[in-house]
Amino acid sequence: MPHEVIMPALGMAQDTGLIVAWHKSPGDAVAADDVLFEVETDKATMEVPAGADGFVTQIRAQAGSEVPVGDVIALIGESREAVPADEKPADDATPAAADLPAGNNVILPALGMAQDTGLIVAWHKAPGDAVAAGDILFEVETDKSTMEVEAGFDGFVAALLAEAGEEAPVGETIAVITATKPEKPVKASRAGAPAVAPASAPQASAPAAKPSAPKLAKAATSAPKAAAPAAAGGRILASPKARRIALQQGLDLNRLAEAGHPQPYHVADLEALKSLPEKAPQIAQAASRRLTADLPSEGFAEFAAWAAEAGGLKDAVALLAGFAGASLGRDAIVVVESLGVTRAFSVPMGTFGNIAPADPASAPDLILRDLRMSRINTVTLGAEGAPSLTLTQAGEGLAITLECASHHLTATEAVSLLSNFAGRMEQPLRHLL
Amino acid sequence: MRNITLSQAVNEALAEEMRRDERVFIIGEDVAEAGTPFKVLSGLVEEFGTSRVVDTPIAEPGFMGIAVGAAMTGSRPVVDLMFGDFIYLIMDQLCNQAAKTHYMSGGKLNVPLVLRTNLGATRRSAAQHSQSLHALVAHIPGLKVALPSSAYEAKGLMKTAIRDNNPVVIFEDKLMYNDKAPVPEEEYLIPFGKANVKRSGSDITLIGTSSMVQVCEKAAEILASEGIDAEVIDPRTIVPLDEEALLKSAKKTSRVIVVDEGHQSFGITGEIASRINEKAFYHLDAPVLRMGAMDVPVPFSPALEDITVPTPEGVAESARRLVAGEMIHAA
Repeated sequence: MPHEVIMPALGMAQDTGLIVAWHKSPGDAVAADDVLFEVETDKATMEVPAGADGFVTQIRAQAGSEVPVGDVIALIGESREAVPADEKPADDATPAAADLPAGNNVILPALGMAQDTGLIVAWHKAPGDAVAAGDILFEVETDKSTMEVEAGFDGFVAALLAEAGEEAPVGETIAVITATKPEKPVKASRAGAPAVAPASAPQASAPAAKPSAPKLAKAATSAPKAAAPAAAGGRILASPKARRIALQQGLDLNRLAEAGHPQPYHVADLEALKSLPEKAPQIAQAASRRLTADLPSEGFAEFAAWAAEAGGLKDAVALLAGFAGASLGRDAIVVVESLGVTRAFSVPMGTFGNIAPADPASAPDLILRDLRMSRINTVTLGAEGAPSLTLTQAGEGLAITLECASHHLTATEAVSLLSNFAGRMEQPLRHLL
Repeated sequence: MRNITLSQAVNEALAEEMRRDERVFIIGEDVAEAGTPFKVLSGLVEEFGTSRVVDTPIAEPGFMGIAVGAAMTGSRPVVDLMFGDFIYLIMDQLCNQAAKTHYMSGGKLNVPLVLRTNLGATRRSAAQHSQSLHALVAHIPGLKVALPSSAYEAKGLMKTAIRDNNPVVIFEDKLMYNDKAPVPEEEYLIPFGKANVKRSGSDITLIGTSSMVQVCEKAAEILASEGIDAEVIDPRTIVPLDEEALLKSAKKTSRVIVVDEGHQSFGITGEIASRINEKAFYHLDAPVLRMGAMDVPVPFSPALEDITVPTPEGVAESARRLVAGEMIHAA
């Protein structure tokens, strides 16, 4: 593999270097620190050493030509023989290179510091024309100016790879000049031509990819992004901490949104989420029982007042639990939810005096939900962990709804429970008899 | 414990360090015979003489360059830059020379230099004498930046700065020179990179620098009367920054406001907010808010000047909104 001599970067903002003179010719023996050529930048002229021992096998850019930094301008081989054309280094070994005549590549030069592309205004030579290095080959327009660009090589125009009016990325090969007159000169446009790889100038590769790559990337990423909110039913605004805790505790912020809770959600809103009624699975809904009893009048309030005075039973909620438990017909843990307070009672068969508070964590046999003080008049809450009796106000009287899963109570048991309880609430004294 | 002013505290720190180490000297404008603009250096030239308290012409780049060279060759200069605004004049000496010499000499040279200067608006000094430019130097690797928030802090941080083998820039708030605080008679140092939790709280963290620590403390008092429990933290040095302490507090309260007197854009508040956002994101219950000075030249008009800097009422109002879970800048 021959050593490639490239145009060095001698200044910080240097795009190209002007080759002032070659100190060696093809075929010359050269030592690594021999001066190989002189280069001029906007700041200085410098002598550049060969960088490798061997023989100069090829010189690709003539004295007087301006070459982009990083371009290969000469090859140094181990023997005096010239490098055959088909062994040329990688920058020409592109898919399109096979179709192109072998020769000196003319690239679109960088004329400004922040220039990515140049507009080819006009070609001054046609394919097949003879050209001298100092001849104007084309005109290029950047955002700052229009400039005439010299061919840089003596020979013949073997290929023009962009049409006048087209833009080409800086560093891209836009013409090929061969030493001999080409048999089939190539004329192509950038739009139609197979992608011509940029010359080896490192700054050329990124801009070359620019025109199409961003669009493709955008198209690729936008699809899944659009799908995600749709799946979640619209984007929910929540703090990172609220989201993390919801995830850790298995809470679904969508439910808060569905319940109409105002966004954005913070940790404090998770309490509201937790207090939302459990969503019963569809299958349980189907196998649940719901019975309602309407009482034109209720006698419980009067009874509770009497019991407090005469029997010393001052806890009306415990009495209510007692009625419910007795209606079930067996010893029971009854949980009563009343005015936002939840209390659990152990209700054995027998007298009211034996009713005692129970561990709130114990699994209830019956849930009694007293909504008489609320404005709610109809409930369908679905089956819960235990049969539930819900009391709601109905004019002067009372409505009682029993809900349970089918495995909690048979249909007969459910009817019996509700009938017993309704009877006790309507005529409490019957319970004592 | 006795109460002394911030001026006296800095004066004591300088005098003690100059007695302890004869390599320490002061250089700057009006530091000796001409008298000292903020009465910080009173009595020092009488004790240490004009060879250790060196008056210079009005030529900031010159005396800063002298100091950097002196530091590289074995002295420990304390440079007095009369106004923080003049830091623009010494940027090369400070940022290209002092900050990089240790690195670029492969550790062969040190620059044990302290640049004493100031920040702070509302002194009616107009746009060229009221800036808080600590973010400019905090951006430069190789410089440490200390922001004392009281007389106690000023003394302890100054002594640590003088003993540091690297360049340290200390910004004193020019409105705090006459503020008194308890300062012990006995010697103490305040280490760099250790934040100070001024007040413990659970609902929101207020991170303040320099005089903004007082602003945050006053805001916390307002909030406490409303049942909001604010934590106040003073990072003390922004380079090095006690990230651990700030993150710990952010994770505890899940809400943070960063208050600093530099311009809000591209400043200290943004840097601290960004670090909290990156490293405590999943603990945040609200966006981290920045409260800096308005992005305007500091007005001379007192009525205008006063509203360009964060106030306790303003900080309290923002804190209320965060704690209430209000939508902040979101759509």
